[in-house]
Amino acid sequence: MRTLMRLEVLRMLRNRRYLLFTLAYPVAMYLIFGSQSGDVDGTDVAAYIMVSMASFGAVGATLSAGVQRIAAERQSGWTRQLRLTTLTGRQYVISKLASAAVVGLPAIVLVLFTGFLRGVRLDPWQWGVLVIALWFGSFVFAVLGIGLGYLVAPDSAQPVFMLVYLGMAVLGGMWVPLTGFPQFLQDIGHVMPTYRLGRLGWEVLDGRHPRMSDIAVLALYLVAFTALAAWRYRRDEQKVAA
Amino acid sequence: MTITAGKQTTAPAVALAGVRKSFGDLRAVDGLDLELHQGETVALLGPNGAGKSTTLDLLLGLSRPTEGTVALFGGDPRDAIRRGRVGAMLQSGGLMPDVTVGEMVKLARDLHPRPLPQAQVLQRAGIEDLVDKNVDKLSGGQAQRVRFAVAIAGEVDLIVLDEPTTGMDVDSRRRFWGSMREQAELGRTVLFATHYLEEADNVADRVLVLHRGKLLADASAAQIKARAGLRRIAFDLTESVERYESTLRALPGVVQLELGGTTVRMRSDDADETVAAIYAAGLRPRGLEVAGLGLEQAFLAITQQADEAEGMEIAS
Repeated sequence: MRTLMRLEVLRMLRNRRYLLFTLAYPVAMYLIFGSQSGDVDGTDVAAYIMVSMASFGAVGATLSAGVQRIAAERQSGWTRQLRLTTLTGRQYVISKLASAAVVGLPAIVLVLFTGFLRGVRLDPWQWGVLVIALWFGSFVFAVLGIGLGYLVAPDSAQPVFMLVYLGMAVLGGMWVPLTGFPQFLQDIGHVMPTYRLGRLGWEVLDGRHPRMSDIAVLALYLVAFTALAAWRYRRDEQKVAA
Repeated sequence: MTITAGKQTTAPAVALAGVRKSFGDLRAVDGLDLELHQGETVALLGPNGAGKSTTLDLLLGLSRPTEGTVALFGGDPRDAIRRGRVGAMLQSGGLMPDVTVGEMVKLARDLHPRPLPQAQVLQRAGIEDLVDKNVDKLSGGQAQRVRFAVAIAGEVDLIVLDEPTTGMDVDSRRRFWGSMREQAELGRTVLFATHYLEEADNVADRVLVLHRGKLLADASAAQIKARAGLRRIAFDLTESVERYESTLRALPGVVQLELGGTTVRMRSDDADETVAAIYAAGLRPRGLEVAGLGLEQAFLAITQQADEAEGMEIAS
């Protein structure tokens, strides 16, 4: 189990293209969009977009750790071979989660650090709570990634990932604050897990702790996505290569 | 037959009872009853599409039978696997992407409750020189050897291999079967699927012939070879062969006879005796040909025998 976790993480770090995409993309987006000045509902725009892009990066890293890698592992037959070892389904999922969490953390920290370099100033507790809240919140997307990795055919893993990732990011107000959207899009946005994740951080910028309601909604998503992942994992268990 | 070797107290390594598996209309496995005893080396022989891989999937608990029961060591296959009693190498099973061979083997050992030393596993699989190579860059035969290493990374009681030598060169094949024999000598039950009769003959104590999801034969390698070792004999006579039919049928070894014009075609399980008897009967064959049957034909021969037997059962 230790070797499995170690290798899961190592494989992520070895894949340069993957790292570049998951870590550099949100930083680049932040550099492009974060230079505006003004405020969003009283919060400084530069700080607001920093949190949006840190959440965006965390979602991308944790989601792709599941979807694309599991799809590839199913294609190579590795998931099937793993079933012939003493590893239980739960251990497998935990090791996947752990490796997703390991890339999720630098995705958050890098954007926050870039924000700091560009002059965003917060209290030490705010930086700390931001990192922890966004990191823990991103586990929801790691589980969603595992479920989707088992749900989609290996060939369509990439487009499905992009669709789900960018779709949830835009609808959840990670690119453009929801306040600029028409009402019905705002209503959709409010139920998005991405919006709830972002708001964990936006609240911290205003000097408040993350809202319990956001934590509760994310917890509900976590339960739902875990059920999806468990269901698909069991389905895959029964499937037979003809 | 109820001959049981050794103590009766130990549960059979593998027990299948009335197992059927259907995919839609296709009956991939059609009523399989089978017991493998501990320490046996058994070949599962059959042409492509015979149901070998499906049988192994069922046996390993990767899929559930439509009907019937499957037990490993007297219990659920998943239990045996979770306790690390089974090492398996499937055609559809793969390796973890983006890691080296050494890391892959280490992982397999780490996941096993009774791992063997790394050096020993590498040596048995003959992959010492591949340790630092990325698993995604292996040739077909090399990948097979690494997958074998994964299957034998720990102390197991049952080893299941699905066409293990596919893609291996002659030398790798020999090494592979050498280490397979070692495993058998250690008292492990080995079950391997193959479509090479020679492999079954060289390694297995017992050969199961599977065809269209049914078990056609369960015998020693020598017996199967005798059945598959039929020879085809063909020759011409100067006159119509019809009138010699009874003489020809009475020849020793003849299992099948086909007459057409001046041509005789027959299959014999003892070609030497048959040919000697042809001359002894006073016949003067021209253009005599004696040829061995290919494996496909041997299967056909065995299948035909099975079909005929079935036909007779229905008739009686």
